[in-house]
Amino acid sequence: MLFTEVRGLPVVPSAAGAGPLGTVASLDVDVAGRGVRHVRLRGGRLRRETALAWEAVEAIGPSTVRVRSTARPGPAPAGHDLLGHRVLTEGGTSHGTVLDVAFDPVTGRLLAVFTTRGEVTPGRLMGLGDHALVVRTA
Amino acid sequence: MNELMAARSITTRPVVTLGGDAVAHVKDTVCDAAAARVTGFTLTGRGLLSGPLKDGLPWAAVHALGHDAVMIRDPLALVNAAAMTARQQPLRARLLGARVLTEAGSEVGTVLDVVVEGGTGGRVLGFRVAASRRFVPGQTRHRRRVYVPRGGTLTVSGRDLVLPEDAVRHVADDLPGFGSLVGGVPGQWRGSLP
Repeated sequence: MLFTEVRGLPVVPSAAGAGPLGTVASLDVDVAGRGVRHVRLRGGRLRRETALAWEAVEAIGPSTVRVRSTARPGPAPAGHDLLGHRVLTEGGTSHGTVLDVAFDPVTGRLLAVFTTRGEVTPGRLMGLGDHALVVRTA
Repeated sequence: MNELMAARSITTRPVVTLGGDAVAHVKDTVCDAAAARVTGFTLTGRGLLSGPLKDGLPWAAVHALGHDAVMIRDPLALVNAAAMTARQQPLRARLLGARVLTEAGSEVGTVLDVVVEGGTGGRVLGFRVAASRRFVPGQTRHRRRVYVPRGGTLTVSGRDLVLPEDAVRHVADDLPGFGSLVGGVPGQWRGSLP
């Protein structure tokens, strides 16, 4: 599944009759663990962004993200959205920007990062900071 | 062969950790007394109005000098810039504008820029020189800018750089041409054809 497909999906608790918590704003990535760490969601136009840990997610379907009924979104941790982020190689040359990220919706593991200059395997990711996503030179 | 870059183009390049965070921008390049290698960089802050930083970046902390960023391993590896530039002066202060002479004493020109090797090497490979009229004859209207290789034995005397005679036998017109010249392909023969 792709990050751009998940963005904007409603986040719904699995308990019957519960209303949606909000919509997915972005997914936070743990670069060292090569997986999704948080789901950031937005409650409304004027609401602040909140975050849910990946463990609270039960299933990601094509039209909804189902989360545990006990899950309460907490304040969003500091992090950087991968989509649109600048990519630099270890050697300091530009590698375009991130177009999309493929991930496994069951485990949250990253499968591939698609940049404007080609695909990057998750094993090559080194760090994600305020300036760029740093990747190892192939 | 790593990418060649002009030292003045390194100014304003961001200094990025391997974790992806930008720490500072490069203000100037510092090289050693013999103009043989880059020994570090002085830095400015990241904001629009932030001035020069008190910290300098020593070459030992640089992971790679790239086309779009200077990559460093550890953001805490910065040293005091005053200590770094006490014996080795930044480029702008010392090398730019220096006269280039040959060992025979003929004038080559004045230094406009310094060509350094990117990647992990950090060697100074040559100079971009505003050639004097006698060195590169041509139209009097426009001054010629040529790339002169550093050569093995360069001596610095005061503000002058003295190159060995055979280093200036071949010169290049542009940076790609200079790259192949340093890589072993002879550039254009200076002077009349044999």
